Amino acid sequence: MPVEFSLNHQSVTSTSPPLTPLLDVLRNEFQLTGVKQGCDHEGECGACTVLLDGKPVRSCLTPLGSVAGRQVLTIEGLGSPDNLHLLQAAFIETGAVQCGFCTPGMLLAAKALLDRTPNPQRAEIVEALEGNLCRCTGYSRIIQAVQLASYRMRHGIDDQSPVENPPPPAGEPASHSPLGGSALREDALAKVTGQALYAEDIHLPGMLHMKTLRSPQHHARLLSLDTAAAQAMPGVVRVFTSADIPGVNGFPIYSLDEPLLTAPGNTLRMLGAPIALVVAESPEQAQAALEAIRLELEILPHTFDMDEALKPGAYPIAGENNLLSEFRIKHGNLQAALAESQAIIETCYETSFLEHTALEREALVGCIDEAGRITVTGGSHQPHNQQRYIAEALNIPLEQVRVITPPTGGSFGGKQDPWTFVAVGLAVYWLRQPVRLVFTRRESFDASPKRHPYRVKTRLGVTGDGRLTGVQVRIDSNTGGYDSSGRHIPNYALTAAGGAYRWQAVDGLARSILTNGPKAGQYRGFGTAQSTFALECTLDETIQHLGLDAVEFRLRNCLRDGETSFLGYPLVDSLGYAEVLETIAPHHRRFQEEVEAFNRQAAVQGSSLRRGVGLAGMWYRFGKAGSLKIEAHSELSLDGSFVMYCSAPDYGQGTTTAMSQIAAQELGVSRQRVEIVNADTGRTPNSDIQGASRAIFFVGGAVRQAAHNLVQAILGVAAEMLDSPAAELHLDDRQGVICDALGRSVSLLEVAQEFERLGKSRRMVGFFDVTHALPTHPKPEYLPLFVTGAQLAEAQVDLHTGEARVLRAVAVHDIGKIVNPLDAAGQVEGAFVMGLGAALMEEYLPGASSEISNYLLPTAGCSPPIEVYFVEVHSRLHPYGVKGLGEAAMLPSTPAIINAVSRAIGGRLRAIPATPERILAAAALAGRQPEWNGAVQR
Amino acid sequence: MTGYYSPTSIAEALKLLHTDPGQGLLMGGGTDLLPDLRKGKKAPRFIVDLTRIPELQTIQVGEQWVEIGAAVTFGALKNHPNLQQRVPALAEAARSVGAEGIQNAATWVGNLVQAMPAADGAILALALEAQVQVVSLEETTWIDVENIFLAPGKSALDPSCQVVARLRFPLPAVPWGAAWQRVGRRTALTLPVINCAVKVEMAEQRIQRAVIALGPVAPRPFRARQAEQHLAGQLPTLEVLQQAARLAQSASQPRDNVLRASRQYRLQLIPTLVYRALNRAIQQAQSPEREEQAQINPNPSLLPRR
Repeated sequence: MPVEFSLNHQSVTSTSPPLTPLLDVLRNEFQLTGVKQGCDHEGECGACTVLLDGKPVRSCLTPLGSVAGRQVLTIEGLGSPDNLHLLQAAFIETGAVQCGFCTPGMLLAAKALLDRTPNPQRAEIVEALEGNLCRCTGYSRIIQAVQLASYRMRHGIDDQSPVENPPPPAGEPASHSPLGGSALREDALAKVTGQALYAEDIHLPGMLHMKTLRSPQHHARLLSLDTAAAQAMPGVVRVFTSADIPGVNGFPIYSLDEPLLTAPGNTLRMLGAPIALVVAESPEQAQAALEAIRLELEILPHTFDMDEALKPGAYPIAGENNLLSEFRIKHGNLQAALAESQAIIETCYETSFLEHTALEREALVGCIDEAGRITVTGGSHQPHNQQRYIAEALNIPLEQVRVITPPTGGSFGGKQDPWTFVAVGLAVYWLRQPVRLVFTRRESFDASPKRHPYRVKTRLGVTGDGRLTGVQVRIDSNTGGYDSSGRHIPNYALTAAGGAYRWQAVDGLARSILTNGPKAGQYRGFGTAQSTFALECTLDETIQHLGLDAVEFRLRNCLRDGETSFLGYPLVDSLGYAEVLETIAPHHRRFQEEVEAFNRQAAVQGSSLRRGVGLAGMWYRFGKAGSLKIEAHSELSLDGSFVMYCSAPDYGQGTTTAMSQIAAQELGVSRQRVEIVNADTGRTPNSDIQGASRAIFFVGGAVRQAAHNLVQAILGVAAEMLDSPAAELHLDDRQGVICDALGRSVSLLEVAQEFERLGKSRRMVGFFDVTHALPTHPKPEYLPLFVTGAQLAEAQVDLHTGEARVLRAVAVHDIGKIVNPLDAAGQVEGAFVMGLGAALMEEYLPGASSEISNYLLPTAGCSPPIEVYFVEVHSRLHPYGVKGLGEAAMLPSTPAIINAVSRAIGGRLRAIPATPERILAAAALAGRQPEWNGAVQR
Repeated sequence: MTGYYSPTSIAEALKLLHTDPGQGLLMGGGTDLLPDLRKGKKAPRFIVDLTRIPELQTIQVGEQWVEIGAAVTFGALKNHPNLQQRVPALAEAARSVGAEGIQNAATWVGNLVQAMPAADGAILALALEAQVQVVSLEETTWIDVENIFLAPGKSALDPSCQVVARLRFPLPAVPWGAAWQRVGRRTALTLPVINCAVKVEMAEQRIQRAVIALGPVAPRPFRARQAEQHLAGQLPTLEVLQQAARLAQSASQPRDNVLRASRQYRLQLIPTLVYRALNRAIQQAQSPEREEQAQINPNPSLLPRR
């Protein structure tokens, strides 16, 4: 029976079965793709939020039948690009839109709030949004946007177009001015109106659906595989196994010995290891066919434990006795250094597996494009690499493969995995038809890469007056069942292990160990966050032991420009750490005073609440191992506008916008005149990987150079046309003309036509090359470019329950010249909350964690007010002086929070997540709990 | 294909259930049922949606009873001004269920019928000594909520032939208070580590009677009767409350849950939560206009009230 209801103020009828979730009806029957699916129809994430009779509901849990005769509002009904709702404009202005996947749900929840409470308190906004998860923004700007919209609503300000530079939130300094004149995001308009098409929103005629058969065991040998029954099932087009792979079964450059599909006779080394692919006409039919594939498995012993895996006689998983790789650093004489020390501090810190949990699950669409290429559209960090892996697996030339990067709902490293791209490429290769692959959230939990758990043993020496002498570090990282680039982790682990400090001697050894846990791979920070956590907490223990000041201590020991670091080679660029520490010092003092006052009061009142202030610093080697010479292109279009071609995939962090700003700045035009074509192997040059926070420095440098070269070429041609010296010409952006000193002008359109007439190419190449900056003696493995930062957290702990909250935070970062102040602050805020998750609540337990309901992410209620400050210590290597930020921003967060909690309880947390249970145990151990019953009753 | 009906009266709902006895299931908000259907945990031939029945959508705050229809959502409960004032614990418990989007669909009665040992709604209903009205073709009776729970996930009700029409709980004639305490690993979208609800009725300075409910400390939502008995007729001194809290703890048998909490941690929390809940309930009974408890009895696990 058809169900009639009102959809975005229009009466509609649905013929779907009445128990169909409204989410599916809206997306599939009505093609309203603005409403998103983030979990497996469990109501866990809020991305599917729509308004039902004005109230927010989870459309994934709302049966169609229950909306009969009622009013449904989706994001498409909230406003359109030329008629934005106040909230939509406010979201754009405050920088509340990063990857955009949570945005439609957030906007609708916010609208419902403002409709019933026009002037909400911050706590009311938090309550209204607490059920909508966001992984990018840290919620701060979203809350600010709601406050801004509320203000405008109440004052009758009907401004529907986003305004540049809204007044900064209280407590923050005035905005740095953005490069290119505007900090507003390129893609925000499409995201706030639900028009951005993520991979799962793309519909191609005749599209088929792929599902993956995965190992149900943690460790097993695949004896045999029988797909005949599955092949015969309704709707099934083809079942693929390892036998169907024409070229390389895997992507060995990225991950050693990790197959695309495990061949019979080989072992499946983790839960979820892929075995076969089923392609069918519908996802349900593909899923049903999976269950009809007959597997014969020999179950093998498994372990998630590093020590177990390394024991002599342990069951082999892979590698050399389950050791994947190791890395050492040794300088100076550790014994001598420690002998000089007044105190030696020994600690052991541990972290757990973490899951990226980007709001968008892994989603890709493959097809044959108009040029006959196998084209895969999906979010990743490096489409050119994915292109190569696909070509190698299929044994075809690179030119026959194309990889396009669509709007992507977050990655944090998880979407770097080549597996999904090669799988889709394989299906399209054989079937020559469009194929879609979307992971279930469960699959993402089981099979996508994780962050490496670390066990870090540190032994450091310090003199009585607080000078660090020597340090010995032993790091064991759990890389799970497959490499997934985990073999590089030891290098990164040690690079962060010494920090931006001066050491007389260093003895470091880091190992990457295989177990049957989930494969651990790329995750924000790539192994540096965990060792930074151990270092900055060990330093805090040292500082407490000596009774010193946290900032003073770091200043006394911090490296300055030009010094040689513990890695053995000199710093090639400005460091900025001293400036960062000096900037955070007054905030640290202020927090400490206020916390001491609170604790005194609390003790008097018999309250069980205590507060603590934690500080942590960091340094982060950005730029990574990628090429030191990066390419971008610029073009003058026939209509006189500009196009930039580069590859800096934007999965929410704002690289497209940054490139637009840099191009506009260099071209001397407004951003409206510039189009950015980003991360499409068919149209853009290979600008190497978007990772290690390198995009603004490297790709931005190349974009700048390409723009510069284009300007020179344009001025050259215009000079001929006007018969005037090029040096006397300037571009008038408003008119779109080039003028000379005499006021004569020629339009950009005319210049473009002149290029055509002359047979000159309108497309220029630009290179950014810092090869010369690499030290030669010694030659490090990676370019030693570093950014630094420090963060403060104030934590409040209930000493009787162990519950902890972060009340407020301050972050100070040196990122060189700031390109986009809104986005830079947004990155820091988001990173802080991600670090908070790691510190207090996130823990992926192999074999147990399976979905968002049992893997706890921070909600809006966990996000404290954060003040963000930047010190701009310009890079000497870059024309604008920019550095990097995205990953680095997260490094100080977890240790700052753990230091704060530790000081609040008067004890030490040495393992994360510091759940309430663990905090209570540590508090009990510290013996500082007040009488459990609190205040005296009269 | 699973059938779906949305009747507009209880009688119609019962009739539908009996067209194919034992094969239909009732649905309220569906926030638990739909995932169960999807996972194959439940596989009825048809669903009867109760949310269109007008008499199930009402909230009535009388002199002696509060009566809440089975289709009333947690969202409606937490926003009801009269209830916010008379029974603030109800708004707090409603708030801790999932998050806003869930609260706008999920119902208190549905929460009870699911019979999970830590269901927020069940713990509160137990403390308030609620009853549910069960309507079948044969009869209509009121059942104490305590008698609904048989085992985790199993209630004494048969949703294929019994409709729970409404829930009611008494408003004591004497000064009284009720309080809600919960510890979770996060403030929203989390199952509880321990939740606790308490009701106290005062006579002059003394506790006349108390009801203490806890979860998950047993296979069913649990009343700490020994602790309750200890409080009866007593002055609410520190020692009395402490002892009651300890008695509640010793009667509890929580289990280990690798994803949520260990047995030991849960045991440690119980006296703290019971003590705090008792304190707040007594404060409420003694001064009904009071609001701010934060200074004397802080509990950062709760959202701040408006």
